[in-house]
Amino acid sequence: MVQSKKQKYIFLAFCLVPTFILFSIFTLYPLFSGLYFSFFDWSGSSSVKEFVGFANYIKLFKDSIIPDTIMHDYFLVVTKILGIMVLAMFFAVALTQLKIKEAPFYRIVFFFPNIMSVVVIGILWTFIYNPSLGLVNSGLEFLGLEEWAKPWLGDEKWALPSIVLPAVWAGIGLFMLMLMGGIANISKSFYEAAKIDGASEWQQFWKITLPLVWPQVKVSILYIVITTLNGSFILVQVMTGGGPNNSTHVMGSYLYQQAFKQYNFGYGATIGVMILVLSLITVLFLQFLMRREKVEY
Amino acid sequence: MKRSVGQIMGRTGIRIPLILWTIAVLYPIFWMFLGSFKSNAEIYRNPWGWPETFNIANFSQAWTNYNIDVSVFNSLLVTLLGAVLTLVLAIPTAYAIERMNFRGSKVLFTVYISAMMIPMVLGWIPLFFLLDDLNLLDNIFGLAIVYAVSQLPFSIFVLTSFMSTIPKSLEESAAIDGLSPYGILFKIVTPLSMSGIITVTIMNCIQFWNEYFMALIFLQTKTNYTLALAIDYISNEAQYTNAWGTLFASLVIAIVPVIILYGIFQRRIAKGMTEGAIKG
Repeated sequence: MVQSKKQKYIFLAFCLVPTFILFSIFTLYPLFSGLYFSFFDWSGSSSVKEFVGFANYIKLFKDSIIPDTIMHDYFLVVTKILGIMVLAMFFAVALTQLKIKEAPFYRIVFFFPNIMSVVVIGILWTFIYNPSLGLVNSGLEFLGLEEWAKPWLGDEKWALPSIVLPAVWAGIGLFMLMLMGGIANISKSFYEAAKIDGASEWQQFWKITLPLVWPQVKVSILYIVITTLNGSFILVQVMTGGGPNNSTHVMGSYLYQQAFKQYNFGYGATIGVMILVLSLITVLFLQFLMRREKVEY
Repeated sequence: MKRSVGQIMGRTGIRIPLILWTIAVLYPIFWMFLGSFKSNAEIYRNPWGWPETFNIANFSQAWTNYNIDVSVFNSLLVTLLGAVLTLVLAIPTAYAIERMNFRGSKVLFTVYISAMMIPMVLGWIPLFFLLDDLNLLDNIFGLAIVYAVSQLPFSIFVLTSFMSTIPKSLEESAAIDGLSPYGILFKIVTPLSMSGIITVTIMNCIQFWNEYFMALIFLQTKTNYTLALAIDYISNEAQYTNAWGTLFASLVIAIVPVIILYGIFQRRIAKGMTEGAIKG
């Protein structure tokens, strides 16, 4: 019996320890080490790593680009949530409630951009926005709206909004499927009862569908927030590199520029800490905001 | 009668946005395929339309002038190594967390799962120096390890939920027959979770094949570039060389394997991704 207990522990260790060691080295250690780095002035070569206390954080608060990058990130968060949730909800309701024969076809097509590489999406859309060759300007010319044509990604005012479209384009499918999963779980009898009571389809949506898929809506919004704050910089990096004139820099792309282009690794880590703190605060705040008593009929 | 006419109208009306979005999704991708067969002059002359001839010069250009073959090989290598390593690391841990009652199993699971929500961008700076110290910077094997560990939380999450559906009685009777816990794990549980393992592996392969930013940070020499980096490089060059056809061809090379995988495993991929997202 003692022997078997010992064997059980050996087996447990066999299962857990190697994985956890690698996870600690390549995930946990870098995260905590990142916090530690943020208190140093460091250009990468180990001889000149200087402890500077909170100097990087003071620099962060004085850096005039930082508020812009935060604004840009939250601009993307808000526009992506609106764009994705409205369209995804519309498509999810259309494909589940209205008996459309070719619904599986739409589902398959709409989801596909979700598994495309960000590089492919970014470059493809950079080309779509290309001032002389791209689809957008050619399309505007075709419609006789030449005066609207502009170098979208080269325009300080339009570059950031132009990045929203590919982000929505690439994101809708996943959230549509999540909402469809929620709608499929709603009992048909609610709708039948509502119809007997004379509720319009619009009323049915507001009174039955939306409250009952609220858990999925909530998860979707949180997921969009997290992935945008943690990953929007990849699309920005591919499409504009933060330009023109910093007008599209988000926190992540600014971190990349500071750390890996200008070798301010300590300051880069400080920006990383800011991203971590802001995304945690945002998620907690949203969870508080969207808490809503579970609706049951 | 009037009602049914209205309904038919409604059905048709609802299809308009659906068809428009279908075009919005498919046309750019289709356009990319068409562009890959056009010469640069033709792209300027006729960016929208059908190519005059189906010319594969762009592909051979990409292959010879930009060493896409090396990048394709690197991407394949990092994808396969990463996917195998993820399974080796995730299957035993998922099994232990799901089936062995040990103290701290819930905590361990929470640690893994919460790593899915943490922005890893903070960790990339120390990771850069760690890989440098380990001589794994600018190294495909180093990148494969980083990839594998980055997908551990997702893989453990999906695998535990698959394993929880395997009836415990199978393991118990195998134990009575004298099979060791190792035997149970590798000969009973692993084959029975094959469906989950396949889902996880497809998702991880797509993830690794597509990944760009970690490769950008952790790889430096051109001969180590993955496909994503090679494409990025061609794209930056194209600003000056205007080699748009080559760029389109390299995008096509990157996307075709994903389309094939999606064609075969469409349901699995959609299900795997929605489950991964719902964990929240």
